[in-house]
Amino acid sequence: MPLEIRSLSKTLGDFQLRNVSLTIKDSEYFIILGQSGAGKTILLETIAGIHRPDTGRIFLDGTDITDTPARHRHIGMVYQDYMLFPHLNVEKNIGFGLKQLGEPGEIIRNAVEEISALLGIKHLLERNPETLSGGEQQRVAIARALIIRPRVLLLDEPLSALDAITRRKMRTELSRLPSLTGVSVIHITHHAEDLISLGHRSAVMDEGSVIQVGNPDEIFQNPQTPFVAAFTGMENLFSGIARESHEGKIIRVGTVRIHAITPLTGPVFFGIRSEDLIFSREILKSSARNVLKATVTKIRIMGSLAWVMVDCGICLTGVLTVQSLFELEIDDGDVVYITFKASAVTVFPDENGTGKKGIIS
Amino acid sequence: MCFSGIIPPEHNEINILCSVHMKRIFRVLSFSWFKGSLIFLSGALIFFFCLVFAGLILWPEPRALFEALASEEIRFAIELSLITSLISTMLCAAIALPVAYALSRYQFVSSRLMGLIISLPLSLPPLVAGIALLIFFGPSVFGQLIQATGIDIVYTTSAIIIAQFFVNVPYLIRVMRSAFDSVNPRYEYVARTLGASEPGVFFQVSLPMSKQALLAGLTITWSKAMGEFGAVLMLAGATKMKTETLPIALYLNISTGDLDMAIASATILLAISVGTLVIFEYFFGSRRIL
Repeated sequence: MPLEIRSLSKTLGDFQLRNVSLTIKDSEYFIILGQSGAGKTILLETIAGIHRPDTGRIFLDGTDITDTPARHRHIGMVYQDYMLFPHLNVEKNIGFGLKQLGEPGEIIRNAVEEISALLGIKHLLERNPETLSGGEQQRVAIARALIIRPRVLLLDEPLSALDAITRRKMRTELSRLPSLTGVSVIHITHHAEDLISLGHRSAVMDEGSVIQVGNPDEIFQNPQTPFVAAFTGMENLFSGIARESHEGKIIRVGTVRIHAITPLTGPVFFGIRSEDLIFSREILKSSARNVLKATVTKIRIMGSLAWVMVDCGICLTGVLTVQSLFELEIDDGDVVYITFKASAVTVFPDENGTGKKGIIS
Repeated sequence: MCFSGIIPPEHNEINILCSVHMKRIFRVLSFSWFKGSLIFLSGALIFFFCLVFAGLILWPEPRALFEALASEEIRFAIELSLITSLISTMLCAAIALPVAYALSRYQFVSSRLMGLIISLPLSLPPLVAGIALLIFFGPSVFGQLIQATGIDIVYTTSAIIIAQFFVNVPYLIRVMRSAFDSVNPRYEYVARTLGASEPGVFFQVSLPMSKQALLAGLTITWSKAMGEFGAVLMLAGATKMKTETLPIALYLNISTGDLDMAIASATILLAISVGTLVIFEYFFGSRRIL
């Protein structure tokens, strides 16, 4: 277990970390997901030893490194805009870490060539950083961080500054880093898609706190707060009042009644994923508990998928294939039926709700 | 389409074209009147400048000017100015670099106030700085103390260096501070994670990344030191062939009415200024650092 963070807090200007605890395993690709300004970069910089935490401790391989200066931590850092030293060429940039150790030139040269070959940038060694493309700069920055053989590699929004094609390519390459070099990677991002394609495990951060930790599936299937749900792309989020009834648990939003499976009563948030909505022209006879009559308000076709917005007292967004859209002949203003299972409704407690709050379990 | 009944379309189009055209002509005319007068004014000013400077160089007989330039007194002044200005520039660099870095990077008590105090000599007339230095190294307690140890500052060559240093160091601190400010601290963070010590970060990252500003700042500092008059006059005095830098030579010779000698030193100072400017434009022309 290389890295353990215990109740870390840090205030720096407008940014804050609040009681962050995380454990990153050996050769793990760990993703921290959160909006810009959620304190992610400060978390990385505090782990790297740039900032001293106000409270909390950091352990690397069981040793307390909270007071160890950055240069003795063996934690590599790659920023979003790479921060390649503009006055040094690629070779000197990559070799920087070994030069600090006073290694002889030949050893540095060999190590630089080895790591560059691994990352496919051997042909760039004589170039200056400003002549490189975004993807190339990133590879150089990763090589520069890896040459000191760090236990942990910190990546700050590594894919955000890249074009779509390079991003896809880099994502594959990044995912290989732990198995290739044995390093544990902490990757911070605000793109939920990075989580699906890269992460072994992940933490979601909001306003400086860690809200949920788990593997990507858990976070997508079972978001623990509306924030996580919204962040992982749950389109339909509402607040309502949950009540026990003879039909089971019912959540009311205005005049709409939604069947759900939840131990919560009182004010709640709930969400339904777009792909869980079934569209039909007639009422469907099925085991699904929720059938709502709705009017189509908007259709947006993107590639082979169609996003259909309907009004059934609340506005829902569903997704279906373009083929189904044409087969059902759904058009703006049409009346359709929306069907979804009670178990497709994810319910979260509304902690600021004014109604009666109670958790029965 | 709906107006076609009221105005014939082709007619309408011509009307619009005409009025647009007229407006454009008016605009160009009125604009060029304004533009023209501004350009004329700029040209007149530049012509005036050139006339004044050319007049200075062309005033003495060329032979008299060359003789004055070759005279022992002017050669002494050139040598003294070069030596003192180079030493004071090096001293400025040795002090300004660490101080500018501290002010730029570290948050310490009253670093704002310190910045203000350091900048004070910038807005002060050099004469005032000079007389303050004279009191400090002369009759003050500190002055008495160092005189007791046998070190003489006032009216010596060292005084020239001290005066030049005192007037110029705030300026170099300013330049270097803004240069360090413009280096993203994340470069230094990365260097630290790669194992660089604090001095290592300074010498391998922050300083090389500010190299342009440093060269520019040193060039200007040196050129200012060559021309420093007020503070030098106060602290080092104006003794012929002793504390006689180029500006002091100019002053001494104009006082005794030796116009050729005065113009000779003025010509050298002018040449240095032009040279500095050219070097500066050549190296840093595209970036307005100062």
